Amino acid sequence: MKSKIKYAVKVFAAGFIVIVLLSIPLFWLRLICQEILGENLPSEAKCINMQPCGLVPPEIENDPNVVYHSAVSVNMNTGALPFYGIINCFIAKPAFNNYFSEKNWSYFDKKLGLIVCAYAPRMNVDGKVTLAKAVTLYVGPDGISETKAQNLGRFVAPIVDTGNIHSASLVLTGYDRGLRCFFAVNLEKRVVTKGPQLSKDDFHKPIQIGRISGILRSEFNWSPPMTEVKDTNEKGDSARERKPVQSKPIINYTYSAGQYELVLDESGQIDLLDKETLVFAGKAGFLPAPQTLYDSKDSVTPKDLLDYDVLPLTLKTDNKYSGCFVKTVSREGTSMALAVFDEKGRMIKCDYTKTQSSSGKTIESSVAFFFFSPAAPVLTITRYLLENLQPPILSMASFVTADSFFAVAGHNALFILPNSFVAMSARRIDRTITAKLFLAMIYIILPSLVLSIWLTCKVARDAAMVGLSDKARFYWKIGTILFGLTAYITYRLTRPSITLVTCENCGKLRRPDMENCHRCGSKWHVPELTAPAWRVVD
Amino acid sequence: MLTLIKREIEDAIVLVLGAVIFTAIVITVWVSCVYRGMSVLNIGSWPTAAFIFTIICCVMGIWQMRTDRTKKISSFLLTLPVTRRRILIARIITGFLVILLVLVPITITALVLLQRFGPPIPLYKDFFLDIFVATFLMSFACYCIGLHNGWSSGKIASTLGSLLLTLIFLPLVIIKGISPQALVIVSLFIAALLIRTWQKFMTTSL
Amino acid sequence: MNDDVIKIENLTKFFEGRCVLDGVNLNVPRGCIYGLLGRNGAGKTTIIRILLGLESPTRGKTYLYDSDSANLSAKLKGKIGYVAEAHNLIQNYRVGRLVSLCKSLSSKWNQEFFDHLLQTFRLPMDRKVSQLSTGMRAQLNLALAMARDPELLILDDPTLGLDTVARRQFLELAIDLLQKDGRTILFSSHILSDVERIADRIGILVAGKLVVDCTLEELKNRVKKLRLIFSEQAPQNLHLTEIINQQMQDRELVVTIANYSPQKQAVIDTFKPVTCTEMPMTLEDIFIECTKTEPLPLTVET
Repeated sequence: MKSKIKYAVKVFAAGFIVIVLLSIPLFWLRLICQEILGENLPSEAKCINMQPCGLVPPEIENDPNVVYHSAVSVNMNTGALPFYGIINCFIAKPAFNNYFSEKNWSYFDKKLGLIVCAYAPRMNVDGKVTLAKAVTLYVGPDGISETKAQNLGRFVAPIVDTGNIHSASLVLTGYDRGLRCFFAVNLEKRVVTKGPQLSKDDFHKPIQIGRISGILRSEFNWSPPMTEVKDTNEKGDSARERKPVQSKPIINYTYSAGQYELVLDESGQIDLLDKETLVFAGKAGFLPAPQTLYDSKDSVTPKDLLDYDVLPLTLKTDNKYSGCFVKTVSREGTSMALAVFDEKGRMIKCDYTKTQSSSGKTIESSVAFFFFSPAAPVLTITRYLLENLQPPILSMASFVTADSFFAVAGHNALFILPNSFVAMSARRIDRTITAKLFLAMIYIILPSLVLSIWLTCKVARDAAMVGLSDKARFYWKIGTILFGLTAYITYRLTRPSITLVTCENCGKLRRPDMENCHRCGSKWHVPELTAPAWRVVD
Repeated sequence: MLTLIKREIEDAIVLVLGAVIFTAIVITVWVSCVYRGMSVLNIGSWPTAAFIFTIICCVMGIWQMRTDRTKKISSFLLTLPVTRRRILIARIITGFLVILLVLVPITITALVLLQRFGPPIPLYKDFFLDIFVATFLMSFACYCIGLHNGWSSGKIASTLGSLLLTLIFLPLVIIKGISPQALVIVSLFIAALLIRTWQKFMTTSL
Repeated sequence: MNDDVIKIENLTKFFEGRCVLDGVNLNVPRGCIYGLLGRNGAGKTTIIRILLGLESPTRGKTYLYDSDSANLSAKLKGKIGYVAEAHNLIQNYRVGRLVSLCKSLSSKWNQEFFDHLLQTFRLPMDRKVSQLSTGMRAQLNLALAMARDPELLILDDPTLGLDTVARRQFLELAIDLLQKDGRTILFSSHILSDVERIADRIGILVAGKLVVDCTLEELKNRVKKLRLIFSEQAPQNLHLTEIINQQMQDRELVVTIANYSPQKQAVIDTFKPVTCTEMPMTLEDIFIECTKTEPLPLTVET
């Protein structure tokens, strides 16, 4: 019994080492395929341009003096570098642990339950605005103090947009998930305003407030309608020399939500929060679902997206919130969506990354990524085969857990692959679960299953030759079917390393450490050693 | 056990002294740079230094086991009142101590410098501790790779094999970062390697 | 408690598919001096290494003080002294360092005795082991083993490399050790005269099996070499079992018989030899008879 336990421990230890050391090079090979596929994707399939954007009132957009209409464009970064764990763990630290300078920092102290920040009052010295010496402030839901007073209350799990803390307004808006209420902190006036607690049946679960974006914080390029700037020195129309049209915006704007703050919900909905009353004031929009290789959901949650970004817009015509642009990048990083929402949260426009095939047909970027870019078929097949080197059981686990992992985690996954073809097929909405499972088994992990079955036959043969017990052989067969190449390598590392000798009785190879031949059951006999028949013993 | 550890340290005295000198140099250079105005958060050279250190740890593991095989140290020690278990545990403890000898002073220095010159937010202290734990685990894992492969016959095969496995394993920290998930994987990897080394060492003919 | 210090049960060992030991059974009682003999490659060193846990058996078990050799505790090892055939000392250590290491790892250490041995063997403490001659290494090995005052001493060709004087000194040391109650020695050697001097029991390995396992006296009584001269051609077959060796030339037949008994003598007498002379055999003679694979040329006595 003890030896069986030892053997099992030996096998599991070896198996774990093998699976780790095999997964890492496979990861890099898959990544190389992914990166080259991304590089080869035409640039038009990585950006979206909308002109006009749809948020500017028609009377301004269609002004006869307008030479360039309003436009918004976004680019998709197909590189995986920002999602590597080592970079991600520095970038994606909990919100508002920020340090910009000795007068400009903040963090949430879990033990105290207070937000601690540096506050340097602005001073006007000889017409110049400078910062006075910074003081440390402790902010609780019930007040602000320069000491860690008990009467400040305690935050439980606050979410804050610290972009505001360092802005001129010095107002910090946040939400506490434990207390389930919004709060606004005015550092200058040293006042904390708490909003009403959300009711128990309120479905809202805010996860971000203020500047809503994923890890990358990509740049939106938005330009308002432009009018021509007349050059007073220009003398008539010269046919010989035409200078480029100089233009200026016809309207002023800010990238803010005006009297509101944007709040991103766990469900993917974007809400407006009234800054004065700290209650929800309506919807701003939602995260649109990019078009993926297989048809997937219409709307997505932040968890399902590799990246997202929301750019609110306030036009200075009425200084009211005008609407927002929302960009989302699919889980696999192969497609992007850009949606425009008006001030009431209604979608005005929505576009997706796409490209043109050689025949002029429009192809979604996710399809072009895998099949229609230069060298895409070869790289896709290579990636497909590499994914099939994963143990079948892990492929099935990837199928089952397709929606469970955050999108970012898929880019640094070693064992379960949320971005694999099998996981993508699990997320499709146009098939039943049984159909999806069947298609996954037959089409997507078929090479993996074939490899596992072939390796199982090899292991079974070798195990019989080496004389493993029936039970051990059975477990190895099951293990090899489930774990494929990993199990085979583990078997080779842990199989008894004993030189077999020929059995006198059956002529097959037998193990010398067994009393009887494991093939024919005959007793041990060593013909090459012919001991004399006599013995002189007590 | 202490005698065996002392023996291992005396045999590996070059490595131990090298570790002490390396630590002293790192601390001296870092402290002088910080006093000259470099930000204490400037850890740009840490990945390179950590990479080199993990390779050295692997080599240390290979060296310990190869020396035993070639000089038949264990086969002599086993004629004394010593068991294989004790020999291996003493060896592992020695490697463990050498790694700590390098990392602990550097980490203490980092925390002191952070306290003195660094920003007041605790994020960076947590970062440094995370980096220390990750570096320690990765170094120990590479050391265990060296121990495991160094026991195989064949000097070149064991050295090249160990270095290859180390180079394959090290990027795990790039892929997974210094997350708890990565630390669990590395810890289990260390445990698996030690089990394999243990079983090999216990059953090999000496 | 079992009085056998060493127990070997059905020991089988294969090296790369080649059988060296084939079901060896051996018991060494407490206080016994057991001489294990065999030709080169017979498996003597293999048995000793398996006993000490340096090698694992292919099949079978070995026990020291009722403990499985694979799991000997440090306390038990403290009772055992071992001198290896190759004198496997740590070559790059200085003698002083090696001694200090052995001393600190040993549960018992007789410093006085060790100093006496050092003086007797004139071993330099400041020299590296690799710089010592083979004989000096053998002496050092011996001194380190003996200084621990072991209850069980296992010696694998301990006098290999020793000059005659040193060999005699070792034997005297071994005899000194024997004076102490309950000490057991298992040793193998090719110098059979030394074995004959001190051994109580003899074991001889042939073709992977222990063909002899009895006291020395018993061995000499039971293995007889007879020279038979017949009036006519010597018979081809004496119809005797357990003939170890047989050489025939014309009327002369020299036969070595195992387990000699009056019954076997009676069988011989039925062939009516003219003369039947017993040729006295030393242990070396018996060993040669038991282990040779082809008959030695007949030497005619003048």
